[in-house]
Amino acid sequence: MSEPFEPKIVAFVCTYCTYAGADLAGTSRMKYASNVRIVRLPCTGRISPMFILKALQKGADGVLVSGCHPGDCHFAQGNYHARRRWTVFRALLSFTGIPEERIKFSWISAAEGAKFAELINGVTEEIRSLGPFEQYQELQKIIETQSTY
Amino acid sequence: MAKIGVFVCHCGENIASMVETAKLVSTIADHPGVEISTEYKYFCSDPGQETVKKAIREHNLTGVVVAACSPRMHEQTFRKACAEAGLNPYMLEMANIREHCSWVHTDKKEATDKAIEITRSLVEKVKRNNDLQPISVPVTRRAMVIGGGVAGIQAALDIASAGREVVLVEREPSIGGHMAQLSETFPTLDCSQCILTPRMVEAIQHPNITVMTYSEVEEVDGYIGNFSVKVRKKARYVKMETCTGCGDCIQKCPVKKIPSEFECSLGNRTAIYTPFAQAVPNVPVIDRSRCTYFKNGKCGICKKTCQIDSIDFDQQDIIETLEVGAIVVATGFQVQDTSGYGEYGYGRYKDVITGLHFERLASASGPTAGKILRPSDGKEPQTVVFIQCAGSRDVSKGVRYCSRICCMYTSKHAMLYAHKVHEGVSQIFYMDIRAAGKGYDEFTRRAIEEDKAGYIRGRVSKVYEENGKLIVRGADTLLGRQVEVQADMVVLATAMVPQHDAKDFAKKIGISYDEYGFYNEAHLKLRPVESSTAGIYLAGACQSPKDIPDSVAQASAAAAKVLGLFSKEHLEREPVVAMVTESTCAGCWGCATACPYNAIDHRDINDRNGNLIKRVASVNPGLCQGCGTCVSFCRSNSIDLAGFTEKQIFAEVMAL
Amino acid sequence: MGIQEQYRNEAAELLSSGAVKLVIGYGEGSTSDRRRPVFIRSADETARLVLDANCIANLSGYLVPEGLLSDGKSVAVFLKPDGIRSVNILAAEAQVNPDQVVILGFDIDGGQASPLPGRKATDFAPLIESQKSTGLSTELQQEADQLELMSATDRFEYWNQQFSKCIKCYACRQVCPMCYCRRCIVDVNQPQWVNTSSHTLGNFEWNIVRAFHLAGRCVACGGCDRACPVNIPLRLINHRMSKEALDAFDHFAGESADQKPVLATFRQDDPETFIL
Repeated sequence: MSEPFEPKIVAFVCTYCTYAGADLAGTSRMKYASNVRIVRLPCTGRISPMFILKALQKGADGVLVSGCHPGDCHFAQGNYHARRRWTVFRALLSFTGIPEERIKFSWISAAEGAKFAELINGVTEEIRSLGPFEQYQELQKIIETQSTY
Repeated sequence: MAKIGVFVCHCGENIASMVETAKLVSTIADHPGVEISTEYKYFCSDPGQETVKKAIREHNLTGVVVAACSPRMHEQTFRKACAEAGLNPYMLEMANIREHCSWVHTDKKEATDKAIEITRSLVEKVKRNNDLQPISVPVTRRAMVIGGGVAGIQAALDIASAGREVVLVEREPSIGGHMAQLSETFPTLDCSQCILTPRMVEAIQHPNITVMTYSEVEEVDGYIGNFSVKVRKKARYVKMETCTGCGDCIQKCPVKKIPSEFECSLGNRTAIYTPFAQAVPNVPVIDRSRCTYFKNGKCGICKKTCQIDSIDFDQQDIIETLEVGAIVVATGFQVQDTSGYGEYGYGRYKDVITGLHFERLASASGPTAGKILRPSDGKEPQTVVFIQCAGSRDVSKGVRYCSRICCMYTSKHAMLYAHKVHEGVSQIFYMDIRAAGKGYDEFTRRAIEEDKAGYIRGRVSKVYEENGKLIVRGADTLLGRQVEVQADMVVLATAMVPQHDAKDFAKKIGISYDEYGFYNEAHLKLRPVESSTAGIYLAGACQSPKDIPDSVAQASAAAAKVLGLFSKEHLEREPVVAMVTESTCAGCWGCATACPYNAIDHRDINDRNGNLIKRVASVNPGLCQGCGTCVSFCRSNSIDLAGFTEKQIFAEVMAL
Repeated sequence: MGIQEQYRNEAAELLSSGAVKLVIGYGEGSTSDRRRPVFIRSADETARLVLDANCIANLSGYLVPEGLLSDGKSVAVFLKPDGIRSVNILAAEAQVNPDQVVILGFDIDGGQASPLPGRKATDFAPLIESQKSTGLSTELQQEADQLELMSATDRFEYWNQQFSKCIKCYACRQVCPMCYCRRCIVDVNQPQWVNTSSHTLGNFEWNIVRAFHLAGRCVACGGCDRACPVNIPLRLINHRMSKEALDAFDHFAGESADQKPVLATFRQDDPETFIL
């Protein structure tokens, strides 16, 4: 019996809302799956689509992007800009065959520790059921095993 | 070469009970660039911080990762420790292995693996951190207060009394705002003008306050500590410098039948007028749209009447640019237009009025000299019905929020009515009585118990006229039946809403607002008087419906914030700001369009002869708040964010 | 008089009157049905200009080189409606001053080139408006629909096949009027966001980034698609981006010279069905 598949998930979050929400989940001692690694950024506006591609390259089976609810952005508008970017980027990824289910977007406020914990569990479970993102990881493996020069 | 120190904190048992710290320490010790990796029970304690400082000095560390709690908890603590040991404070990263790891996981191996990954990725990040210096911004220690109601006056007086200059800008001809229109005020029933006018006079006479009435803010440029504000001083056609306020011109003006805005059209004014007798400054203005001279050039009686030649028909608007360091927005509210409520008959029946109308009727200086008389026939009403929540808490036609002051002023109206018309009967339709505030519940009880205000819990479905009476039909939900009251007058407790131009004004000065147009505070609970823009503060009902005590309290709080800002000549700001690589910037201005703070401007690059080579984006570090929205937009990677650079994030992700 | 004659005369007049310093048009190419850009600086050279149904390239990109417009003088350029939209975008992104661009507009229909009235970009606003209301190309949509019908796995495999052909020659970038950056993101190596070796991973990244950077800016001139030496159907990926910009944000690239970039603006009520 092989070990059950544990997905690797990378989360890009803003420091003012979702990161603080994750802190709250911690101070409230909520328990959730340990599969997610958080990259802290000042604002969702700072989250470049390149981050998502790099996370996939590093073997992420899923990516989570999360920030303040519309209207609550510490920087007033960063999340609105981010939302447009995500809309377009998500369509692009989907069109190139990167499944929408693997790239998740959410709004989690500093008060939503419980939502954070639930989301992490939900996303982890969903990605686990999708299995590893072998198609993309294969691309990285080629680099690691072949020389093109 | 990077020499990174990694300090793994046990946080007592908080971390150590779930994360195998020894394994974390030894694994990280082998990571390239890590000079020293060590653990301790409490790094935030004095001996803990000393350990960090000693390691920085002894190992000449170039960067520090503290694997402990959230950066929101102790980042400042350890930044300070780094600085004390001679390391730039921005060469520190916190690996959050407590809130994000030990507290939320139940499997030691998983938690330890995760802690290792978190720490490792931040080691990679910190290797690419740069020395950053706090940004020092000079502060112009002069404030502008926009709006001359009670909130604006209070803020101006508080700032001025602490020794700082204030410019108080008011768009009406007089300061005073809505409070000047009120009769008596709850819960003490002291006369509004009696308590307000001394403050108005104090404001105009204060040596540190410049009052600009009949003036509007046109444009706000700049940033905290350094705003440049363009104010339009509208032409009064009366010389401020010489007018003594004798009022002869007003007496003689032949255009007398203009509905007075101040009297809510219950009284009239002339074409040359002061809004009310106690106006400050007591200098009239000419209403150009109504003045005969401006219509056909034929009157000019005011000019002939004036003994000191203070009328000047040739006056023009003047745009004045003022440099200020802080702005208090106290632009107030307006009463909701009730015309959507056809069932209440407002606008159709003269004797259906708003609460503000009632204030004018009850005011000793009002059109009826304080007698409660019906607008239709000037008779004393024997029965008055008050309808609360006429617009507030009404999802379908009004606003969703509670206007907060109506319960109290309706009680007050019933009381004033009882005091003035002894045999009068008042009936109040209400949803709930919201009387939270010092002395407030006692006040409403007094209205009920001493002044016989009749409260009926329920909504009114219709007001119509029959045989010269207003029939108010509604429900009494406590008794579970329909009620009909024959009234001589109906007073609607209309909602408080933002000024009609509140949203446009917010855009002009660069602050955010909610769905209604009330201005957003930076944090509802913890930063309630700061706007979303640094250096701009909020006071009074422009933020949300407020009564006088709350408006005044917020105004004083805003003044305290301004004075805090003015306590130093320079302001130190976090150096997390965007920076442009000019050599690769293509000048498409996408970053400037995306920036929420207008912090990005154009900069011309010229050759030595002064010929323009190209125009590139340029960040004003005083305005930039460090969100990084521009960075993600830039297609050529020509703009970056200090503290969260592309290199840093790339390394952080690639180490996961 | 045919359109070629008419526009040759017009070009000659513009040059001899000094109204423009340069005419960018089409000339004979290496085969009878290929056209190459020509740069005409004097009236007696205008006979080199060719205008027929083979003139399909979008010449607007030739307006961008640094220094071309910095003397304040005007340049005339032969443009189809897609090219006119490109000029609007370049103007909106401060790369050209639209007042310096004289447009010799034409369209190709039924194998014929026909003149379009108007000389300034703004003259073509009604035309662009009607294009917007007509919507994006239905042929491209049908092609794209084929892909949308696939499972994600199959679609990934399809693009994997396509992108594995990519030799990173960057002809797609070179031909695109929108790729005017002084330094392309793919050339940034600190940090190296896009893998530059010819592995498919890097090809995936390059093509995704390229398409993302064209979101709301591509006018579907087809230049990249024709330029690609290994026939990657770039038109489809670009089309998908244009569709998203139009459907989600009512953004039709190059509507006017003051159109704001779709990704640098927002509306509070932008759609967000996918956000948890």
